[in-house]
Amino acid sequence: MKIPKIQRPLAIKLRNVGVSYKIRSTLFKTSKYWALKDVSFDLYHGETLGVIGRNGVGKSTLLRLLAGIISPDKGEVINKGVTSSLLSLQVGFIQHLTGRENAILSGMMLGLSKAKILSLMDDICDYCDIGDFFDQPVRGYSSGMRARLGFSVAYYSEPDVLLIDEVLGVGDADFKIKSSEALKKRIMSDETVVIVSHNVNTLRELCDRVIWIENGIKCMEGRASNVLDEFVRYKGKFENIRKINHKP
Amino acid sequence: MKQYLALIYQKSLSDFKAEARRGSLGIIWWLLEPLLYVGVFYVIFSIIFHRGDESSIVNLLTALVVWKWFDSAVRQSSNSISSNVGLIRQVYLPKIMFPLMVITTATMRFLIIFPLLIVFIILQGYEPSIVWVAVPIIMIVQLMAIFAIGGFLAAIIPFAPDLRMLIDNGMTLLFFLSGIFFDINNVSPNIKFYLYMNPMIGIIESYRDVLLDGQWPDLTMLFIIATVSMLGILLACYILNRFDRQYLKII
Repeated sequence: MKIPKIQRPLAIKLRNVGVSYKIRSTLFKTSKYWALKDVSFDLYHGETLGVIGRNGVGKSTLLRLLAGIISPDKGEVINKGVTSSLLSLQVGFIQHLTGRENAILSGMMLGLSKAKILSLMDDICDYCDIGDFFDQPVRGYSSGMRARLGFSVAYYSEPDVLLIDEVLGVGDADFKIKSSEALKKRIMSDETVVIVSHNVNTLRELCDRVIWIENGIKCMEGRASNVLDEFVRYKGKFENIRKINHKP
Repeated sequence: MKQYLALIYQKSLSDFKAEARRGSLGIIWWLLEPLLYVGVFYVIFSIIFHRGDESSIVNLLTALVVWKWFDSAVRQSSNSISSNVGLIRQVYLPKIMFPLMVITTATMRFLIIFPLLIVFIILQGYEPSIVWVAVPIIMIVQLMAIFAIGGFLAAIIPFAPDLRMLIDNGMTLLFFLSGIFFDINNVSPNIKFYLYMNPMIGIIESYRDVLLDGQWPDLTMLFIIATVSMLGILLACYILNRFDRQYLKII
């Protein structure tokens, strides 16, 4: 029996969350900057939630909050016992170690046990497809190879909730297609994913539900198409106003 | 918890390996570095100032090897959170792990050099004695002192990054006050008390008592250092834990 979407179990709940950063101007003077002011939403198991907003409205801060990297200064984040992590590439890579050694270290930082990574090692090696370089120091890698290795490790780390910040495909042209296809497949599956982007088309294609953040405040939440249409309209207006204001 | 301990071990081992592969001489540098270090001080103190007798090289070497462990562990530990911003931004790791990882690496390095020091001491004609069993106790006390100071600095430096400038000079000051170049017993009693505020002075004295003089170390003193260090460790853990998910917002 397929459970209707809204009745899926809750994964993470945010209630009136705000996050402030300290900005140090002089030795004893610091000022506060609220990157997020008031955001509430529920994230359910198996859904793909998109977060849209212009640059610098607190989208990345929101992801860090969901990843548990920072705590809110206001409101509450209630995690119903799920692991969540950012899709981050090349976590903790050390230049003088081989690809294999870095895969172990990086995988452990992403929360896998060493035994688990060792059992995945053949898959990771196949997936990044860099041949003998896998057992060479990362120092000698091209940036494309580094991206391949980084993505492969991150891809196999499989947290309960996958948090994606903007980038979908990485590396050289071939791998960009391969990695973005793989990610899309995973997003479309039953996995819980939160994607942050300012690209309307990506979100329209991938998300069930979208939240729109403006100046640290959630201003709309709903079905992807509704929210994104509204966002496009608003953005158009905003840019028109800006154009008018900038006319001499 | 187990996962985090495994990660601390893995990361320290990785850093250790990376360090060994870095220079073309790799691991030989760990040996060469303290020797060059001793060479410099020997030239200055023995040849130029005519201070010291035949025993001064081995005295100096013992003190410098254990000092080096303290010095590199505390320095790296104090920077461990601020220098790992990139990592902290990407994944959640308990912040206590950052000082622990660099301290473990420094300790591994020390544990490789220390047996060489013992060989050197024996080659100089010192007889191994039963009191040498006290060495691990001194090491544990030293490790506690390292963790207390290094962990505390790691916890507070993100709040006051300017302190970093003071640490270099502070460590140099401690270095000269640690009794590496003088015998604490020759110092006038009213200054002595203040000098003992520095844990390394008692620790270095203990190593010398045991390894070179064949005496038991002053266990009361070691116990006091251990107790104070334990309080320091608890304080450091408290601060790191209290601000565990805040550090990124401060740095």
